[in-house]
Amino acid sequence: MDTVLIDGLSYALPLLCIAIGGIYSERSGIINLALEGLLGAGAFVGALFVAFFGGLFAQHSSIPMYFAFLFAMIGGAVFAMLHGLLCVKFRANQVISCVVINILAIALTGFFTRQINSQVFNQPSDRINLGVSIRFDIPYLSDIPFIGAAFQRVYPFQIIIIAVVIFSWYLLYKTRFGMRIRACGDNPHAVDGAGISVAKTRFIAVMISGALAGLGGMSYAYSIAASFSPGIYMGAGFLAIAALIFGNWRIMPTVGACLLFGFARSGGQRLAHILELPVSFSDLIIMLPYVVTLLLLIFFSKSNRAPRALGEIYDKGKR
Amino acid sequence: MKVKRILRLIVGNEKQQAYTVPLLAILCSLIVSSILLLFMGRNPITAFQSILAGAGVLPRPNYAGGRGMFTDIMMTLSELTPMIFASLAVTVAFKGGLFNIGISGQMLFSGFIATVLIGYSELPSYIAMPLVIIIGTLCGAFIGALIGLLKAKFNINEVVSSIMLNYIIMYIISFFIQTRFIDPITRQSVEINSSARLVLQNVQVGPYRAVIPFFIILAIAAAFALRFFLNRTRAGFDLRAVGLNSRAARYLGIKPQLNIMVAMIISGALAGLAGVTHYLGFQGAMPTRELVGTGFDAIAVALLGNVSPIGSLFASVLITIISRGTTYMSSILDVQREIAQVITGFILLFSACGAFIKQVVNTSDVVTAEPEADDVPTEEGE
Repeated sequence: MDTVLIDGLSYALPLLCIAIGGIYSERSGIINLALEGLLGAGAFVGALFVAFFGGLFAQHSSIPMYFAFLFAMIGGAVFAMLHGLLCVKFRANQVISCVVINILAIALTGFFTRQINSQVFNQPSDRINLGVSIRFDIPYLSDIPFIGAAFQRVYPFQIIIIAVVIFSWYLLYKTRFGMRIRACGDNPHAVDGAGISVAKTRFIAVMISGALAGLGGMSYAYSIAASFSPGIYMGAGFLAIAALIFGNWRIMPTVGACLLFGFARSGGQRLAHILELPVSFSDLIIMLPYVVTLLLLIFFSKSNRAPRALGEIYDKGKR
Repeated sequence: MKVKRILRLIVGNEKQQAYTVPLLAILCSLIVSSILLLFMGRNPITAFQSILAGAGVLPRPNYAGGRGMFTDIMMTLSELTPMIFASLAVTVAFKGGLFNIGISGQMLFSGFIATVLIGYSELPSYIAMPLVIIIGTLCGAFIGALIGLLKAKFNINEVVSSIMLNYIIMYIISFFIQTRFIDPITRQSVEINSSARLVLQNVQVGPYRAVIPFFIILAIAAAFALRFFLNRTRAGFDLRAVGLNSRAARYLGIKPQLNIMVAMIISGALAGLAGVTHYLGFQGAMPTRELVGTGFDAIAVALLGNVSPIGSLFASVLITIISRGTTYMSSILDVQREIAQVITGFILLFSACGAFIKQVVNTSDVVTAEPEADDVPTEEGE
């Protein structure tokens, strides 16, 4: 039971971070199916920092890791600018732009990882090893019976992500800036009428989206993957999209969806372990969240309400 | 304004833009890739030459025994076949206002079912091959219909449902392969019997041994058939009308729901054909936990080909040459072979800006209000 809670949370929280990134972009009216590519691009930049400058710090120091998270956010945001540029400035079809970003991110990160590994570090490999981040128990809280496990063996990034989630909730729902983002997705003409640039607001929202996706991606690189490799593209970005659609483009329900996915995964793994199922059954367990999403969408999609201007290129002259 | 005039000079009038804008995109991506190669200290001219040589378009300096330019070009054609089918699948969905991002999943599904039913049987070639084609088409159409139904009946955006289906299909098939059909050495499925393969293996042609991918003829025929269907038939007109403006189409008495189904079934069927020609033709075995990149590259191809059947045909040739030729190029220049995906990515990037270029050029300087220049349907919600 404890492992289900611990593993579930450590999978669900980065997913939530990525999904909230998606919410920012989509609430501003820009479709973001590019989360998969953005999380990889972010994690690549973070891993690159560790590969080049990790040696400057003391061994077993966790400072490079925090820098890696910072650089992952920057990398994700910069790469997301490309998506913003294509969608906002070049008026590309947003879904196509997302496909571009995904293909380009997977290609560029894979290419440069191999190239840098073989040229700079003289080892032909497609991964940058990072190791697994340290974990710790939160004092007092972890001693609570039953739910205390949620505070045991916590990754530092889980704390960061929880802080980021709370802040982004506040930003999106309680500030003027957040209101503008949401208005851009529902009624961009009203935003324009109020004298605020729709293009700029959407661009910033897409950048926030990239930064959050990068943070989430880096978290996976420091936990499940223990490295940066093409294996980072395991579909978390698409699962995050499923979570946010599930959560009806709102943050609180999305938290629930991510936790559901996380516990479905860890619970399934635990069950397979208890029943002593062979390893091949893990395929069926990983598949569960996708099946659940599709089935639930069938029942709930009628009441699902996407931002009204989602996917529309903003055109001042159009009424 | 000066930039606009120069651009107009380059891309020409609206009719010429059908091929000048994609050519411009290709040129731009070649320039960017060249800069990337120069930055790494490689000669881009040598790089592009060796890509062409690797794909069998130019002769290589030396060949291994029994191989020649003919061997290479047949291999390229063998990879080209599924690419043509896949890009046609994207095209037809696009024309109907839909975005089929699930082609990889549909390919995997049809490939797997055809492999299990026919690939391991002892049926003679002349029965097995048509059966594989029929099963592939039906399986692809089935998944397409499912996505169409979810859209038409339950209002689930096809992008979301096809992404979910991609993963569901991938993991379920991976499970079956790993439990039933695994080859412990290759970590793929057991190799498919050569009688069921859609590509003839090891044929001696003159001095060379090569594969013969004769189903490429079917792929080219499919492109022309699709062109005929879209431009010359009532059903094709209805489909395009819904894609351009579904509300206007409704006033014409066209049922959007029905056309969503039609577009997705045709798209799925073509994706199914891509699947069987890829897995039972080009590959010869089913991988585990892997979606083939063709399904995603096909989106780039269709876009580059102006979302038209014949355009997709030409664009498929280009993208396949790049992906086929880079193995050889990476060995010559000591550049990682992922560069193929990078070049493809750049082509796609610049193609995506094509709509913008057209719009800039086609609006006159005086009028600032832009006409609807989008040649691709916009997604409405998810």
